Amino acid sequence: MTNRLPWWMGGILMSGLLLLTFSIYGADRAIGASTYVPYVASLIFDLDPEKYSYVNQIKSSGSWEGVMLLGVLFGGFITSVFITKSFRFSLIPTGWKKYKNDSILSRLLWSFFAGFIMIIGARLAGGCTSGHFMSGMSQLAISAMIFGAVVMLTLVITGKFFYNTKGKK
Amino acid sequence: MADIIFVVEENNTTVVDRVFQMVENVIHMEHGSVALVFLIGVIFGGIIQYTRVDKFEKIAGFSMLKDTIIPKMLFLTVGLTSIGLYFMIDAGQAHYHVKPIILQGLIIGGVLFGISMAILGKCPGTGPVSIAEGRIDVLVGAIGGLLGGLVFTVYYDDIFKPLMGENLGNPILTDFFKGHEDTTALVFGIIVILIAIAIPKRELFDETELSQIADKKKI
Repeated sequence: MTNRLPWWMGGILMSGLLLLTFSIYGADRAIGASTYVPYVASLIFDLDPEKYSYVNQIKSSGSWEGVMLLGVLFGGFITSVFITKSFRFSLIPTGWKKYKNDSILSRLLWSFFAGFIMIIGARLAGGCTSGHFMSGMSQLAISAMIFGAVVMLTLVITGKFFYNTKGKK
Repeated sequence: MADIIFVVEENNTTVVDRVFQMVENVIHMEHGSVALVFLIGVIFGGIIQYTRVDKFEKIAGFSMLKDTIIPKMLFLTVGLTSIGLYFMIDAGQAHYHVKPIILQGLIIGGVLFGISMAILGKCPGTGPVSIAEGRIDVLVGAIGGLLGGLVFTVYYDDIFKPLMGENLGNPILTDFFKGHEDTTALVFGIIVILIAIAIPKRELFDETELSQIADKKKI
């Protein structure tokens, strides 16, 4: 049908990548994808580690994830252009138009707001979908299970109230 | 905000210098070469793009319970990895890197994260992939995220650290089943894999996919 891998193939490949990253022959660490955000912010705004203790605290994880992020951008770009041929510039997703509204301004403002609280949330919890849900739960970590349960519940409640799905397929 | 402007004036390194410093930090770490870390990112981005789980219709669709590809793939990943990792650690081929239970932080953070994930339709791992494939709205979300990261860093000691509460240690599931660690890990993994398979498959398509499906039907 469409040019993409099925969910089970994605799960198997992602699991292989996590195990490679965890192994002592790989990186001997977990995959995470939210520490890079405050770290990149500290690079852009030149935050002084002497003054802001958090910059010091995230220096190693932030650098590691920052290099990984460059790879993610590259890998995502190459795959979208050459494999799935899904690269295109767009301002508003189809699903937003269908279940929320047609306004580009509304989508951009909500995106900005959501991005802002997403990173505050991830850093308060100490991880995100990658660090907690995938890497944490794979280590049977209780912290990750608490985070996963709270996120899933809030996600579905928000979806119910934020989008207008009544009478639509 | 006045503080930040002051620091910028005081220092004279450029953003480019600081990015090179970031790469240098990775060289001096024992967590893989820069090439390997970059490659891990490329594969990570490639898998997410090729499975299309970075699409708004997948994550926001899941929040409306109209698309279940995300939970199916996530649970399968966790189930498979948990079994593999447990025995790799047992054999000394990997180590635990367990995050602590900082209860208030986990709950407040989880609520904020869940709300924003439903609205943005991305998370910090899938967001960059969407930006790389040209989604401007997600780029705007990332700018919001960078500002969130800035606010968190600047007010960490005064506001956010006290808000997170105390560290309750970092237990894992097998700690509660002493003497039956292997079985616990195996049962957990199998149950999670079964959940992944049992979740009914539902999909929310976007315009391009719908037209492709329509074309196929005509043929």
